[in-house]
Amino acid sequence: MKLLTANRLTDGVTLWHTGTGWSEDAAHAARLDDEQADALLTDWKTRETEVVGPYLIPLTPDGNPVQREQVREFIRANGPTIGQTADALSQAHGRADIFES
Amino acid sequence: MSPLNSSHTPQLVTSEGEIIPDGWTLLDDEDTTGVDGPYVLGFDRALRELDGLNGHYGVRVNPADDVRLLLPFIEKITLIEVAFPGYRDGRGYSTARILREEGYTGAIRAVGDVLRDQLFHMLRCGFNEFLVKDSDPAGAIAAAKTRFTTFYQGAADANRPAWALRHNA
Amino acid sequence: MYVYDSFDHTFVRERNAEFADQVARRLSGELSEDQFKPLRLMNGLYLQLHAYMLRIAVPYGVLSSKQVRKLAHIARTYDRDFGHFTTRQNLQFNWIKLADTPKILEELAEVEMHALQTSGNCIRNTTTDQFAGAARDEHTDPRPWAEVIRQWSSIHPEFTFLPRKFKIAITGAAKDRAAIRVHDIGLHAKPEGFDVYVGGGMGRTPHLGHLIKSSLPGEQLLSYLEAALRVYNRYGRRDNIYKARIKILVSALGPEEYARQVEEEWNTLDKAKIDAPSAEIVRIRSFFPDPVFTDKTFDRVALERAQIADPAFARWVKNNTHAHKRDDHVSVTISLKPVGLPPGDASSAQMDVMADVADQFAYGELRVSHEQNIILPHVAKTDLYELYRQLDAVNLSTANGGKITDMIACPGLDYCTLANARSIPLAQDISQRFADAELTDKIGDLQIKISGCINACGHHHVGHIGILGVDKQGIEFYQILLGGRADEKAALGQITGKGLSAEAVPAAIERVVQLYLKLRTDESERFIDALERLGRDTFAEALHEPA
Repeated sequence: MKLLTANRLTDGVTLWHTGTGWSEDAAHAARLDDEQADALLTDWKTRETEVVGPYLIPLTPDGNPVQREQVREFIRANGPTIGQTADALSQAHGRADIFES
Repeated sequence: MSPLNSSHTPQLVTSEGEIIPDGWTLLDDEDTTGVDGPYVLGFDRALRELDGLNGHYGVRVNPADDVRLLLPFIEKITLIEVAFPGYRDGRGYSTARILREEGYTGAIRAVGDVLRDQLFHMLRCGFNEFLVKDSDPAGAIAAAKTRFTTFYQGAADANRPAWALRHNA
Repeated sequence: MYVYDSFDHTFVRERNAEFADQVARRLSGELSEDQFKPLRLMNGLYLQLHAYMLRIAVPYGVLSSKQVRKLAHIARTYDRDFGHFTTRQNLQFNWIKLADTPKILEELAEVEMHALQTSGNCIRNTTTDQFAGAARDEHTDPRPWAEVIRQWSSIHPEFTFLPRKFKIAITGAAKDRAAIRVHDIGLHAKPEGFDVYVGGGMGRTPHLGHLIKSSLPGEQLLSYLEAALRVYNRYGRRDNIYKARIKILVSALGPEEYARQVEEEWNTLDKAKIDAPSAEIVRIRSFFPDPVFTDKTFDRVALERAQIADPAFARWVKNNTHAHKRDDHVSVTISLKPVGLPPGDASSAQMDVMADVADQFAYGELRVSHEQNIILPHVAKTDLYELYRQLDAVNLSTANGGKITDMIACPGLDYCTLANARSIPLAQDISQRFADAELTDKIGDLQIKISGCINACGHHHVGHIGILGVDKQGIEFYQILLGGRADEKAALGQITGKGLSAEAVPAAIERVVQLYLKLRTDESERFIDALERLGRDTFAEALHEPA
């Protein structure tokens, strides 16, 4: 299982692939099987006028990023861990942390 | 969506914006110099053979080559191709400036990964021919020559730095 | 401060037009991300973990109140209402839209600012002493020279695609507050000319710079720099990004051989075409006169009375003011390190207040220090209490200048794609641990510097206590270094023992500090002095929990 993430070209906002399109909220990220994930990545790598730097995040069976990627992807999904600058987006969606920290 | 600029076939353009044919042949080290010239010699070969050759030649200079080694033969050289294997490798800019500082007046041609965004720097460093990948090479030259009217340092071109204009120095 | 003439204005406008064209070509697909990346970096635009980051140049750290108000406006209009002051005396915004950047650059140009060469493999912002032109121990004002270098290095056609980034620092005082020996080139401006140090740097393989030239006449500074850069451009390594800085070249050749090559290159140059004439240096110097100092008489008694009545103010005066060349003035440090908040951040409202107090009390001038604070270089002592009260109203009166909570920290993994570990939350935890003002004062001068990865943006190599974040299978660990310093006695800290978890770091530092308090000869022996007297090992043991 993998997640596909990228940044939008025009504003740099972090995007998560939902299986059918992109969402700004990591809570909507689809757990993609490996084959589908690889195919989507190949496709989006060529679509450079839409997104920048797409990459896959490997997941453990319980749906969290593998340990090597854990902290980085947690922060990418939830915004900075710093009070003053907390990601307004995750607050706007009023949701719990996406991955366990 | 516009096509990627580097997808365009490279065309040879002069600093005057003129598209010109490339009459030169780059010789492999084994090839003999026949009557079909003019030829561009590899750097090491040029160092070995130019002393004994008559006529005029081109020389290909790669980023790591010390261009000053060509100075003893400079009278026989009318073209120096400065190679940019990747566009982030900036050694060729120093190569061109050294050539101009040493008084070389022949052609200095940028070849390799040459894109329109480098032309301004290349013009200032003394290049006057460009094998550039762009849909509009002449337009790219025109843009590079008009983009800036203020310069902060002396270089190989005729533009005077701001300090010279401020003090009429 | 320097004021643009028509050449400078035209240049920045032309550069902005070029960048706007590059952005448009990226958006249209004519430029690939690979091609665009070095172009956007040369204008300070990064893509980070969450969004684009735009780094704005603050040449040699000097700002006018008008410029600070513009930065506040940009924070409010285009970002999330705050900015982050960096160890390179610049300012960065963390949530910028690519499509907005041409507009932001236009706004900056209105106040004679830009983002030129704040990233990329080119000559970066020249940094200097934050107290330049004001400090009592200064013998040569470095700012005119930094401006001379700024102009020379702006879109230098030969040095835009160097092997790696290139940082020049310059000081003109006995005490080195510009950390010149950990820069690619460090310049010490003296009345008789420049001492030139080359090959210093931090990162993966820290080096202290070597003196390669003494008493270089100022009129020949630019041609000498041109020769030094050319040798580096031609022979610096390009096969390995971690070995591409000039420090690796200088250490491979040896400083003597590098110096010889520079000298040889210098002799070939037509110096008259490169060196700005004396008239230009005189012109630039004319922009850096003393302010017209106030003729208000200094009421020493009133100041002393205020300090007695308000102990918090007294602490602030003691810790956050610096000796000025005039007896009735001081330089003031506005600490951007309030306890528990990210080091170096300021909100737009705080920026506006800083601009206002600069107009009221500091002749309209501010500086960014490499310690990530804001400096008011010239403040009449008579105005100190009123200044303090206005700063205090917006949480800008933290009295910790040079103290243990005045930490340097890079943005770390909270923002940066290169980082291995977080820096800011750790800085916050440490500052909470040492929140007690009395304890802070008792400890005295102590510099903690935190980097979230080996690139060392947080200067951990030269912290009295340095902290380096590392990643071990997805878990953040922190290695502690002891004994670094960036001043005129520059030294590199050494890594001590195993890495610690984030939770363990504040307590470990407290043990080291307590040991220092126990072992110091008296209050005058600073942490770094005691460490150098007793040796690192004495303190390294205390870092690790007693068994």
